[in-house]
Parts: sequence; C-alpha cells; structure tokens
Amino acid sequence: MNQARIRLATVTVAPFALALGVQLAVLLVVGDRLPDSLATHFDLSGDSDRDPMSRTAALVASVLLFAGVGALWVVSALGSPLTARALKWLTAGGWALGGLLGYTLTATLLANLDATDSSAVRLPPWQLAVGAAVALAAAGVGLLLTRFVPNPGHEPTGDDGTTRIDLAEGELAGWSRRTGSGPLLAVGLATLTAGVFVAVAVSWRYGPMVFVIGLLALVFASAHVSVDRHGLTVRMGALSWPRVRVPLKDIEAASSRRINAVAEYGGWGYRIRHKRTGVVMRSGEAIVVRRANGREFAVTVADSATAAALLNTLVDRRKRG
Amino acid sequence: MLFRVDPASSVPLGDQIAGSVRGAIADGTVNPGDRLPAARALADSLGVNVHTVLRGYQRLREEGLIELRRGRGAVVVPGPVSPGRAKILERVRELVDEARELGMSEEELMSMVRLGMTTT
Repeated sequence: MNQARIRLATVTVAPFALALGVQLAVLLVVGDRLPDSLATHFDLSGDSDRDPMSRTAALVASVLLFAGVGALWVVSALGSPLTARALKWLTAGGWALGGLLGYTLTATLLANLDATDSSAVRLPPWQLAVGAAVALAAAGVGLLLTRFVPNPGHEPTGDDGTTRIDLAEGELAGWSRRTGSGPLLAVGLATLTAGVFVAVAVSWRYGPMVFVIGLLALVFASAHVSVDRHGLTVRMGALSWPRVRVPLKDIEAASSRRINAVAEYGGWGYRIRHKRTGVVMRSGEAIVVRRANGREFAVTVADSATAAALLNTLVDRRKRG
Repeated sequence: MLFRVDPASSVPLGDQIAGSVRGAIADGTVNPGDRLPAARALADSLGVNVHTVLRGYQRLREEGLIELRRGRGAVVVPGPVSPGRAKILERVRELVDEARELGMSEEELMSMVRLGMTTT
C-alpha cells in the first residue's frame, strides 16, 4: 500500500473512528452515572418508545456499527478507481454520516445520565437538528481534508516507475504532445488587454508592467512536451521558449499520476516548491519524474502514462549502455 | 503521441512514422485538429533525417489524414471522420500486405474490392 492509499484510508475512516472515540471517552468519564439499561430509541416527540438496551449491548452495537460503516467506506474508496470528484463526495458523505451518528449516539448516552427509569428518558427532536448541523460541519471538514489526498485510483500502476514500453533492440521511439491551460490563456489575454487599457487610460508607467505580466501568463499557458533520447523536454508557449529539459542521465524513474495544482503546487504555471518543480497547467494527470538529486519534476499533460513508460524504458536502455 | 521506428524493419522509416500517426488518429490518442510535432523537432527526437519525417507526413497528406500548412505545420484534418478514415487506412495496409504475400496483382485486389462494394 503506498502513501497515497494510506492517506486516503485514513481520511475516510477518520470520522467513524473519531465518533466512536468520543463515545468511548464519554463512557469512560461518566460511565458510572449511566443506568444498566439505556433508552436508545425515541419517537418524534422525543419520548423513549422501545424497550431499553443493556449498557454492554449498546456499547457493542455502536462499536460494530462504526467498524462496519468505516470498513464499508474504506472498501468503497480504495476498492475501485473513482474519479477525484466521486472520491470527494464519498469522503464528505462519510464525514457527514460520522458526524450525525457520533452526535446523536453521544447525545443519547448523555440523555440517559442519572436516569432511574429508562422509559422517562427523553431525546427531543431538536437534537436531531443539531446532529444535522454537526453532520454538515463534518462534511466540510472532510471536503477540506480531501485536498491533501492524492487520488490513488488514477495512478495507473499504483507503484512508481515500473511501467515500460516493449521496444525492440535498436528501435527508435519518441513521444510528443501539446498541453495547455484554457483559464491561463484567458487570464493572459485579459491581462494583456488590461495592460493596454491601463497604459492608455491610467498611467503610461504601469501599463507596460501589466502588459508584460499578461505576456508571461501567455507564455506559460501552453507547452509542448516531448520524451525522447534526450530525456523529458518541455518547451513553453508558442515560441518554444523557455525550454526545460531533464536529461535521461538525471532521471531515476518516471510515473504518471494525478496532481492537484493548488494543493501540491500552490497554483498554475511554472512552479518551484520545496523538493519539486512543475509545469502545472491544470489539476489532473501528469508525468512525474524522480530525479537523481531527489527532486521531483512534474508536467501536466494527457496520455502521461505512455510518456512515463517510454521514459522508464529509455532510462533502462541508457543504463544498459 | 508515441512515434516508433525500427531501422531493422523492411518498412521504410517514413512509412513507419506515418504508421505511428495513423494508429494514434485511429485509436483517438490524437484528435482531429491536433497539431503534429514540427518535422525538424520530430527528426531530432528520433535521431532520423528530417526528410524521412517529411516523407512520412507527405504520405499522411496523400491519405487525407493531415493537412500541411505553411507556418502552421502538420494538422490532423478536422472533422469527425478522421479517426474512421485512419482505421480504414490501417485495414487497407493489412489487406495490401496480405495480398502481396499471396502474390496477388494490384488489378486482382482492386477487382475484389470493387466486387465487395457492389454486393452491399
């Protein structure tokens, strides 16, 4: 299991573990004030409407409930390749359910505190509304947390740098593809226009500055990516300049995975972060190269799995000499 | 798009390049309207002569799969028919190869195809 999967599993199971934890903590702290049999089911007016449950049975039931739901969620999240969107909602849903169950079950426990007659225990329906609010808040937390989880469903192999292309001895191969970003292009054009407008209408001093920023955005709005005997090359914009190249000798392994522009690179364009550099046009699949110096270089482009496999093949061939 | 050429093969390198592009159009890796890499860039990439690449591109133009425009380079013919066309051309390749193996003449093969077209 790689790190992405561990993180995903953690985020999906966390709400249920948390909810159970809260309940156990409540039991630990005020357990001696609870009666032996608990009222656990209430009608809409808030009155207890079923036979009470023994304290142990209630505890076992809630452990089983959370373990079951948690397992269900983890299996759904990891079992099948889901789109990033589906994964997001699955996680948010899990957190909402965890929040609702956690709140209502804990409220039920607290309602039973110091009760001498379980049929007199009340859980007014407004508690359900509070539970819903907690669920909503928990869903928000879950959604936030998904930002830190790369989607493992889209890692074609699940492991790093092992895919290859079957090349015959002496066969020449190259891969090439254009990549671009519609939003960045739009921003660039808009900034360019704004630059002209500022120069004419506001100030000659600041106009050119804005214009140049727009030009920069345009340069980084598209790129031509190629993989060949030279290594991985990214040529920016229509002018094919500037050019970034990672030579084969500097490459340890290449893989294809989805990257999140904001979470991993803090935005779009040519990004330099701690330990990684990227030409990031959008969130989505990318060729990710692990360099010999430990840094990562990524470029977002479609069909990245083929490119990564070819890179690995060429690196192997180079090592063989 | 993945380009592969094997100098050890009996198929001319230009035709192998054309074959890579044809396959990519057929399986949807390259879409109608997409631009192919500049001939010089591709030649440098593969380590072959630029004329070899241009021969391949010329072949694709004759097949009606790409347009060669001055300044714009090679572009896959826009429109929904290109992938289907590429698939048919791939099958034609196979057909011709098989016919040659059997020692069939061009006229023989053509008349078979013509016959096939009248019986639908």
